[in-house]
Amino acid sequence: MLSASEIHFCVKQRPIVDQASLSLEAGEILAVLGPNGAGKSTLFKILTGDVPCKRGEIGYNGCPLHQLKSKQLAQIRAVMPQHSEVNFPFTAKEVIELGLIASRSSQPQKLLQDVMELTQTTSLQNQQFQHLSGGERQRVQLARVLVQIWEKKLFTRYLLLDEPTSALDIAQQHTVLQILQQLKDRNIGVLVILHDLNLAAQYADRVLLLKNGMIEACGPTTDVLTEKTLSKVFDHPVTVMIHPITGRKIISTDHFYRNPSQNINKAYYGNSI
Amino acid sequence: MSSFSKSIALSTSKAILLGGMGMLLLVIVVFSLSKGAFEISPLQSLAILLSDTGWIAEAYTNQQANVLLQIRLPRIILATLVGGGLGIAGAAMQGLFRNPLVEPGLIGVSSGSALFAVIYLVLLPGLSSISWTQQVGLPLFAFIGGFIHVIAVYLLSKGSGKARTSNLILAGVAINALAGALIGLTLFYSDDAALRSFTFWSLGDLGGATWQKIPTAILLILVPAALLLNQSTHLNAMSLGEQEAFHLGINVSQLKIKLLILTALIVGVSVSLTGMIGFVGLVVPHLIRISFGADHKLLLPASFLVGAILLNLADLVARTIAIPAELPIGVITALLGAPFFIYLISTFNQTKS
Repeated sequence: MLSASEIHFCVKQRPIVDQASLSLEAGEILAVLGPNGAGKSTLFKILTGDVPCKRGEIGYNGCPLHQLKSKQLAQIRAVMPQHSEVNFPFTAKEVIELGLIASRSSQPQKLLQDVMELTQTTSLQNQQFQHLSGGERQRVQLARVLVQIWEKKLFTRYLLLDEPTSALDIAQQHTVLQILQQLKDRNIGVLVILHDLNLAAQYADRVLLLKNGMIEACGPTTDVLTEKTLSKVFDHPVTVMIHPITGRKIISTDHFYRNPSQNINKAYYGNSI
Repeated sequence: MSSFSKSIALSTSKAILLGGMGMLLLVIVVFSLSKGAFEISPLQSLAILLSDTGWIAEAYTNQQANVLLQIRLPRIILATLVGGGLGIAGAAMQGLFRNPLVEPGLIGVSSGSALFAVIYLVLLPGLSSISWTQQVGLPLFAFIGGFIHVIAVYLLSKGSGKARTSNLILAGVAINALAGALIGLTLFYSDDAALRSFTFWSLGDLGGATWQKIPTAILLILVPAALLLNQSTHLNAMSLGEQEAFHLGINVSQLKIKLLILTALIVGVSVSLTGMIGFVGLVVPHLIRISFGADHKLLLPASFLVGAILLNLADLVARTIAIPAELPIGVITALLGAPFFIYLISTFNQTKS
């Protein structure tokens, strides 16, 4: 289990992440949602070990984060940051192969092949990373972080992704999240920051809503994604419906602004699901 | 699997490529040995070099043997070590700074080394007159100067969080100007007329090569260069970014310190032996990246070999173009390197915008 208890991070007395506690189990996808500036990225960096938190404790499989060396940590968790620039003419395959540094695989070629097939990057492997489109780059980066943790191990591993779908078209977004779903039965826990509420509604097992550095809600997807909570967290009215086929929730962001002082607001919340 | 065997494991095609570069270097060395004010044919050169084995039956005079063994050979070995060192140090620095425009000379490492070397020679004449302290003290002083300057540039360019190319270049300009002025000032106040000239420090000179300098060069250039080869996989990871390298399990701050020390050592020692020779560390890694890709497993050893080839060729031109006079070698490398740098800046801006 990846657990964080009461972690706290502030800049110039202003809390960015405030008393946040969460846990991530093997075989689940936890989506982190929240408006811009909610502290998602900071929370993310504290969990990955990039930023030390001022107070609180983070544990990977029961071992405190600060006691793990970067080498040991890399065996347990892989991270896909939002942007990765490469200033030199590396090929896509060379970028993906970097995942092998941490994985110490006994069959590196097979591992690479499997992951490249899964991420549809086999055809890109000899192209220069710099010349790829935004979506292709993202898939190559995903392949790289998957190589790091793909092989089945006895201990639980974790994949943390910061908006992995930001540069992708609709089909690719679903491809990525379907890949993440496949990690569940590999004894991997996935934490993913998403911007798209509907992707979270369709794929996440649990959702964590963050606002002003505080966790507003955290729980099973259907419990958390309600009109009331979402409207409050994002300061924008939303309508939640049920998809006729999947039975999953669909979130529609409304184009009209509801002033809290106006009656329409009351009438609206009165009808919430 | 140890990280060492992993990081130097090369595909056969890359091994062949490196072998080819090594052969080319040998051919150029032999050719270079036989060229100069004093006529020695390539075959005679080989005969002199391999005289103990007696494989090549070619007549030569004692004078030819002396010129070759006492003057040209140490000079060419020094050119090989310094050229190779500057090449590999340039490649490693570009990887560390994640910036293809970095070069020991441009960012002020060389001038920092030169400044400290000059200070050592002028202000500590008591030390430098004893020969063994000069062999060790001068290179180490130059290393300290280079190390201080590379750290200063690194911190200056990172002042606002992420290292930006413009910051880096400007920091280099400022440090170069300051070090240049201080070198001039120190030399101005030195009363030792025999002290090597400002030209030596600013444009480089291989003419002072002697056998006494070779052990220093081997120990303090070749050994750190070999240690750099061991960091190639980690440098590949650093190319993605420091964060990403950390995520891949690399101890980034330790790696940075290692790289800074090794590159400053190579550059500092090179400067103390031959003065500031610019642009080798810029041009060489670029040529290799354009031709064979960015993988540091190939880039680092190839930069050493091509750097050695380039400096030998430049030295050959410098000492044969105006016989019996010699051009400072830095003139040749700058004539090649400066237009290349301008070209790089223009393409760099295009890709960024």
